[in-house]
Amino acid sequence: MLSQVFAVVIFIAMFVFIVTEIVERHIVSLICALLTIILVFGVGMHSMEAVIDTINLKSIITPEFWYTAGEASGSSSGINWETIVFIFGMMVMVEGMARVGFFRWLCMRIAKLVKYKVIPVFITFMVLSTVLAMFIDSITVILFLAAVTIELSQLLKFNPVPMILSEIFCANLGGSATMCGDPPNIIIGTSLGYSFTDFVTNTGLIAGISLIAVLIYFYLIFKKDLLANASCSVDYSSLPSPESTITDRKGFVVSSVIFAAAIILLITHAQTGLTVSSIGFIVAIVTLATSGKYAMMLLKKVDYKTLLFFIGLFVVIGGLEQTGILEIMAGFIGKISGGNSMVMIAIIIWLSAIASAFVDNIPFATTMIPIIKSLSAAYGIDLSILAWTLAMGTDIGGSATPIGASANVVGIATASREGYVIKWGLYCKKMLPATLMVVLISMLVVYLRYL
Amino acid sequence: MEKQLIISVGREFGSGGHEIAEKLAKHYGVQLLDHNLLDEIAAERSVDVKHLKGLDEKHKNLLSSRTVRGYSSSPEENLYLLQFDYLQKKAAGGESFVVVGRCSETILKEYDGLISIFVLADKEQKVDRIMRKYELTEGNAKKMIREKDLKRRRYHNGFCKEKWGDSKNYDISINSSRLGIDGTVASLVDYIDKRQQMN
Repeated sequence: MLSQVFAVVIFIAMFVFIVTEIVERHIVSLICALLTIILVFGVGMHSMEAVIDTINLKSIITPEFWYTAGEASGSSSGINWETIVFIFGMMVMVEGMARVGFFRWLCMRIAKLVKYKVIPVFITFMVLSTVLAMFIDSITVILFLAAVTIELSQLLKFNPVPMILSEIFCANLGGSATMCGDPPNIIIGTSLGYSFTDFVTNTGLIAGISLIAVLIYFYLIFKKDLLANASCSVDYSSLPSPESTITDRKGFVVSSVIFAAAIILLITHAQTGLTVSSIGFIVAIVTLATSGKYAMMLLKKVDYKTLLFFIGLFVVIGGLEQTGILEIMAGFIGKISGGNSMVMIAIIIWLSAIASAFVDNIPFATTMIPIIKSLSAAYGIDLSILAWTLAMGTDIGGSATPIGASANVVGIATASREGYVIKWGLYCKKMLPATLMVVLISMLVVYLRYL
Repeated sequence: MEKQLIISVGREFGSGGHEIAEKLAKHYGVQLLDHNLLDEIAAERSVDVKHLKGLDEKHKNLLSSRTVRGYSSSPEENLYLLQFDYLQKKAAGGESFVVVGRCSETILKEYDGLISIFVLADKEQKVDRIMRKYELTEGNAKKMIREKDLKRRRYHNGFCKEKWGDSKNYDISINSSRLGIDGTVASLVDYIDKRQQMN
């Protein structure tokens, strides 16, 4: 009982401190992790075994961490090192791609392909945002897309805000389509043993259907705004040519090859047996080995704070799991739904979406994983259905408010720093209906396909 | 080449700090930057100033904003950063100007030409001034002063380590009730001239 009280208090305190940003979130999660180890596992449970299970270092030295001969297996509770290693590897690769100008080149290339026409740029950038976010973190996608959008808006004389908002939404949508698109998906995939293909054929399909609806929605609500001041006489010569944005030609080719290889490895990982941690490790090593004198710079640019945040978070959630709190919560959801799978799915998707609109979706998804496992075991519902439901809810719900997802914050900040300040009212007016629409589509697809 | 002169004027609401800043700008023949800073930024970035209004000198709301890798979703913080960039650029370009509030005494600290002033006043004088200026009752004037000063304090202390109105943060803190507006301006001109001679 005492350990449960400690676990809940620490968890709530962590959320409060993360939301208020009084202290940086990685410091909050690490302190809470330490408190979990001392108070929950030590004082409350007197269990060294719980500490060892939660730190989970032994998982790294198991062959399954790097290679699975058959079906992918889910990792045990505690720190999900597979997620940490994979995200680290992708961060190194993305930094390498950014250094050589890959993303700016891609944006400029596509804008040129559609002859810098505002509406075609608007549509292609939404699709580009979705596709890139399937493989790369949404922060990087939006950083580059928003910057190029502002650059183009100044020349083509259109308001960049509608385009940036649409790109943000599509980045979050793209992230939901694959196992590596959004951190909650990586954690869900590695914790429950799902492959890249599993995600693409399930959440990917939902994201694909939703993308069509989203393209139509944003086109209809933003067309007038985008064309309001669009200029016919534009001096295209003032725009940099796509080739001029490449800062290192040899590095560009190498980065493109590494990126393509990473995508192939991810798509085929269920067949090759390589785990996502192996893939992350390989792309990091190859990127660093081919970056020469820039290797150190790339390593320095890795967002270690986010990795530390994940580590602390996994320990705190481990405290809730080890003390049985999450099982109690699962029992509560099961009771409300009366064991009805349709109601349970509706609760999971809407609860996840609403929570993710206001709090970081990573701790929320991490907390929910053991809960859906318990629900699946207790009520005999296929775990994968609940997993896709959870992934869509957490990934899409974040789009509803300016604080719901990292891409939103970065997109808003990039636009605002150029004078296009985006307030809550404007953001929610345009993005909330899109979020509700996609969550509804996701729920209906889950109902029609799986029940 | 003329020496750069940047006068930063922090002020309590009702202290006459703004009027003092206006008179200093007129005396030295330099631009006064206050609310018009938003118009300047909007013109420079070719954006509609209406998007920036209502956020000026407002503090960041911790619950409705989030920071990711140094990027903030807070409109107030982003406007602060826009003003920060604008003032930095102006100062780096060697321009002389008077700027009212907006954390300018901290933002522009690195410039030798900066003279930072904080204007305060006795409560009675402040209430009297606000009652006359806005045609308010005494109670409403007191309430307005309390709210405005709280807003300025939260804005300043939210973005700067140094505290709003703390004399350690300014070159000179002056009570405008002692010498009146014109007397205060005269004293400040004397101080600024001496500082200019030393630089």
